[in-house]
Amino acid sequence: MFNLFSNNRKETVPEWVAGLEETQQRWFAFLEKLEARMEELCTAAIPELKEMLAADEDTYQRTFYKIQSGINGQMQHIRRKAYDTYEEKVINARYAVRDGSLTGMGSDYLTGFTQACSDRYHRDFESKFNYWQGQLDQAAVKDYEAEYRRILSDFEQTKNSFACSQCGSPLTIDRIFFISTYITCPACKTQNTFEPGTSARSLQHIARSLAEQRTRHLLAAYEAENELERELYQANHELKLSLIFEKDRTVTAGKEQQIRANEIRRQEAISNAPRMYKAYLRAMYDEWNNITPDLKEHNEKMYLRHIASNHFPS
Amino acid sequence: MEDKSPKSFLQKLREKAAAQGNYGGAAEASDAGMKARDCPNCGAARAKQDGLTRCAYCGFAFMDIRLSDGIHIKKEDNSQ
Repeated sequence: MFNLFSNNRKETVPEWVAGLEETQQRWFAFLEKLEARMEELCTAAIPELKEMLAADEDTYQRTFYKIQSGINGQMQHIRRKAYDTYEEKVINARYAVRDGSLTGMGSDYLTGFTQACSDRYHRDFESKFNYWQGQLDQAAVKDYEAEYRRILSDFEQTKNSFACSQCGSPLTIDRIFFISTYITCPACKTQNTFEPGTSARSLQHIARSLAEQRTRHLLAAYEAENELERELYQANHELKLSLIFEKDRTVTAGKEQQIRANEIRRQEAISNAPRMYKAYLRAMYDEWNNITPDLKEHNEKMYLRHIASNHFPS
Repeated sequence: MEDKSPKSFLQKLREKAAAQGNYGGAAEASDAGMKARDCPNCGAARAKQDGLTRCAYCGFAFMDIRLSDGIHIKKEDNSQ
């Protein structure tokens, strides 16, 4: 199975091997079933989520969120099932083997079994889980741009329809207020209380999400730079390992040059990444301030805390 | 859930979510409105230059607090 039996050592196969092999097969089959169920659930749930997000009439889309958390709960249930079964069947089976002479074939077999079961679970199953969870999260992404347009058009329609309740002269709302505001009548100077409607009030709550949606390309660029640093580090690691037994001088020289070039780019990435994150934050807060200028003073304080809390190398 | 297919799980989920009430009841959308608070004591309206906390005519206290700087209300809005 793992090329363990190819060398014709004069050892007898321990009697627990058959049991472990069965455990391994059952574990693989069980994970396949869980993956199939996960796929089935998600392929059905993704169009459902999209439809629900568009169709939910509730102001806060609470029905949609109930369905979303129900589906997420089901995903976590599947994951939990895999975790529990792994602990109960695989780990227990592995430690149930009490062979005093665990050398050679027995030890190799046990290592192979542990490795195969662990990889199948922690690498393959988990990456499938993450893939589907990502797909679910993507299906639930709201289009804040559309919501913002709706708020703006509501505002345009209503902004000229108010009059002073004291003298009746028309009052113009010059910008979107998302909290109650005193409006002074230009004719009689009476303080009128303006109560914004539900849609204008919601502007405050979507402003940050909208700003983040508008600047997400900057965040993605920062994340890519961070990832590049890791990739170059791994690539250089592989190159250095391949140099150990390399005898050809020209190959060695070529690889060393490659390593140096990678390292230079990697150092660049290390110094670029925090700057790119700062640029993203600045752009996001600028966008946020454009959407809700009234909160600018408050947001700027938050921005200062935000960059102070992240330990950027200067 | 064990013996049911995910589709029926989704259907059940949808039905349940639709049937379930929301904490705090249904959300009511309200339209924007404009109103003015007149002095309940003498009927005078509040003007910008007289401040918000007291009636300029009869001295009725609209609010017992001193206003501080906020998003729209400023310290200057206190009645003298």
